[in-house]
Amino acid sequence: MLPWNYGFHWSVGTAVFLGAFYTVLVIVVTTVIAAAVRSRRALRAGDADDVRWRSDFHDLPARDRACRHELTGEAEQRDCPNGFDCRKCDAHAKFLERRTPPASGDKTYEGFGMTFPLDRMYHRGHTWVRRQRNGTVTIGLDDFARRLVGKPDSLDLPRKGERLRLHATAWRMRKRNVDLRVVSPVAGIVLETGGADSEWYLRVRPEQHDLRHLLEGFEVQPWVAREMERMQTALSAWGVTPDTGNGSADVAAIAADCPAPCWEAVCGAMFLRP
Amino acid sequence: MDKRFIPAGVSRCSTAKFLLWLAPWAVLLLFGLYSAGLCLVKGLNQTHMNNRFAFGLWIFLDLTVIALGAGAFFTGFLLYVLKRKELRAVINSAVAIGLMCYGGAMAVLGVDVGQPLRAWFTFWYPNVHSMLTEVTFCISCYLTVLLIEYVPIVLKNRKLRQVPHFLVFEHELHKLVYVFAGVGTFLSFFHQGSLGGLYGVLRGRPFAFREELGIWPSTFFLFILSAAAVGPCFILLTTWLVQKLARKPLVRPQVLQSLGRISGLLLAAYVLLKTVDTLVWLNRTTPRSGFLPAQYYAWKPFGVWILFAEMALFLVPTIVLLIPWLRARTGWLVSAAAMACCGVAVNRFVLTIQTLALPTLSFDRFLQYLPSWQETGTFLAVVAAAVLVYSISFRYFVLFPEERELRTAPRRAPESEPVLAGGK
Amino acid sequence: MISEKKPGKICRYGMAIDIDKCTGCGACMIACAVENNVPPGNADATDLTGITWLRVFKVDNGEEYPAKQSVYFPMMCQQCGVETPCYLVCPQQAVDVDPATGVVGQMPERCLGCRYCMAACPYHARYFNWWDPKWPAGMEKTLNPNVAPRMRGVVEKCNFCHGRWHAARERAAEAGETEIIPGDYLPACAEACPAGAIRFGDLNDPASAPAKAANDPESFRLLVKLGTGPKVYYHSKREWARRIGDPSQAPAAKETSRG
Repeated sequence: MLPWNYGFHWSVGTAVFLGAFYTVLVIVVTTVIAAAVRSRRALRAGDADDVRWRSDFHDLPARDRACRHELTGEAEQRDCPNGFDCRKCDAHAKFLERRTPPASGDKTYEGFGMTFPLDRMYHRGHTWVRRQRNGTVTIGLDDFARRLVGKPDSLDLPRKGERLRLHATAWRMRKRNVDLRVVSPVAGIVLETGGADSEWYLRVRPEQHDLRHLLEGFEVQPWVAREMERMQTALSAWGVTPDTGNGSADVAAIAADCPAPCWEAVCGAMFLRP
Repeated sequence: MDKRFIPAGVSRCSTAKFLLWLAPWAVLLLFGLYSAGLCLVKGLNQTHMNNRFAFGLWIFLDLTVIALGAGAFFTGFLLYVLKRKELRAVINSAVAIGLMCYGGAMAVLGVDVGQPLRAWFTFWYPNVHSMLTEVTFCISCYLTVLLIEYVPIVLKNRKLRQVPHFLVFEHELHKLVYVFAGVGTFLSFFHQGSLGGLYGVLRGRPFAFREELGIWPSTFFLFILSAAAVGPCFILLTTWLVQKLARKPLVRPQVLQSLGRISGLLLAAYVLLKTVDTLVWLNRTTPRSGFLPAQYYAWKPFGVWILFAEMALFLVPTIVLLIPWLRARTGWLVSAAAMACCGVAVNRFVLTIQTLALPTLSFDRFLQYLPSWQETGTFLAVVAAAVLVYSISFRYFVLFPEERELRTAPRRAPESEPVLAGGK
Repeated sequence: MISEKKPGKICRYGMAIDIDKCTGCGACMIACAVENNVPPGNADATDLTGITWLRVFKVDNGEEYPAKQSVYFPMMCQQCGVETPCYLVCPQQAVDVDPATGVVGQMPERCLGCRYCMAACPYHARYFNWWDPKWPAGMEKTLNPNVAPRMRGVVEKCNFCHGRWHAARERAAEAGETEIIPGDYLPACAEACPAGAIRFGDLNDPASAPAKAANDPESFRLLVKLGTGPKVYYHSKREWARRIGDPSQAPAAKETSRG
């Protein structure tokens, strides 16, 4: 086994065999240690939230990871390769170039019984972001999420001065004994907190002014349509077929009707927490 | 009660039902542990092995389960190295099965040897000429690799991943999974081969002895090929079985088709090479050892039929798995997979048991061997432990990532394949 | 493991066994068991689980009366000199081929009990301790202090009474010799055989009985074509008996074991 053992003899066979064995051992041990070291580094750097989001995103079914440009019809089937962070995406920049400037259109989008004001931008996790004049942004839940959740039983908002990372947990809500976590649409420092009763949940000074990763304008309509489909898929997985006879499903009514585990699953899908 | 631990988006039976399912297996495990305990405490005289039948049921079944567990490394190789993306659906289950198979084999080996506490001697005084040394090293390393590959599956549990350390560590391990897949493939190549080499080098047993290709006997390569061919079959079989027991679809049918096709191709290569090898063995190697081929099959019950049975059990699945419209039918697909697994069992049986049963000296008797209940019990412990661990893994970990998507009829289904086991 | 000793004179110890002379009395088996501290068989032992480093078989020529003939065939480890199967397969080098004597030694303290060597040996010369060795009260006084008894779960086999070889070397050293005094080293079976059927010697010494048997056309070895190079030569004037060594030509003889 080792050269100083009694009875050890060097030979080609011994050298090859032990060489291979030790090499494999070293590779395996090094890899595990590398993973452990990187983990510690990631934890120290506070990257746990990043990892969480990447892991959650990875676990979403392929359909739920559809690129925004697939939703608008600009692309054929395309999965988002960047965890919904379009700022990093080369393809997104190309798509933007090819876009014709939109007709100055509607101020709101109304569909499926819900209202989506277009003076703000939307995140796929059902939060909206509105730029304020002083360079801050306000963040709130969109109509879909509000109807789905209703009035939360309790709220766990971040403290003032706390740093939010993109796609980390912005705030938590508790309803029907389920812990709901809302994905943060921006990275920044929390300046003020609001609540379910106010106009917004958080006022944040964003780290970057680039908000290209959020949906706006004409993108909102196809996205909401897709979200309705996703909700119906999630519901039918539990055997609940919502009544969408006249094309306007009342999300709030559906939410109230479906049993707790089903509702939990639907919220998980909608808030991008698989 | 344990709903918090069950993965999101899937449904599992009630806790009570689950415990009811586990109970008989737990009883079997206890019985098996008792049998193994008897063998360890009282000695190997508790078995029906003897000086002529030095290897018995345990070695035969060890070889078989290791061949069946080859699905773990081969699926990993196909997925992470050859980028066959559809196999992502079964890789977790394959790793779990591999862990059960190799862990079980090691456990049985611990009982099979006369002095288990001396197991480390092989590492301290390795004999580089001996195939068994290579097997010991490779299987020990590979079991470690399998454990490391299993850890992320555990850490992704719904509750456990809320611990940031586990979450991040799992993420980092997963980023490096291709290293483990590569190492696993390398180790598996060698130990599957060495298990074949165990018998191929036995110059004293002409029934098992084969000529060398390079420094290894032909059985080295044949075992690798048969393990790689049958591994996917076993994954296919177990996936189908679990789908039947769970009464829900767990993978898209295309995945099983893919596994079947890959198996079919490898089985074809195996059948061809095995035929060549058998002809060389019977016509050249055997006479050179001073024996006649007829002597191998002159003893009841191991007549020539066993040779043809072994070939048939490989040939029929080859044909079925390579014909697309046969393969598309679940009944044929699963039967072919089961036959291939039986074929591998017969192949390992022939090399283990028949080799030892056949006389070498001219005045030897033909010997008979039937395992004792302690031997059978010990092996049943392994089966029971495997079922228990797999059941727990299936309930609390994500062994089949596609299960969630399959909870409804897929909206984007490209082909209209029948969903295997309908229902919620 | 190759022995570390620097060999002086290289011997290749072998045996010449005349199966025409063997009467099947079994004195050799008893002498072997006594010399090597082989434990008495457990009450549940069968003829396949007992330990007999040396074992006498009775082999018939397959004919019926009055043409029926038998020989008694003592078999022990053949001390294979070429591609020694057990040595090559032992995973922890518990088998040692001594270059000075050609004897294939077994190290029971290192043996794991995997029994791979037993599968490899075509001569069935290796025996496993299926039970803990137990000597009835009082019998421990008969133990040979020069030979270590083995424990449960390890393999053992004939080693041409290696303990006697060591004793002969010590006597030679005491007498101021550098090599063993010829004739001083004799395994127990050769010493005990009343018919003189078992003769022991150095194959490298042309005057020894085994060396002469090696050149004798009436001598044969077992399973020569396997290429193991056995060093035990059997001799018989009867042609059918000489075919015992060749399994493809063997008479329709079946083993009826004895002992």
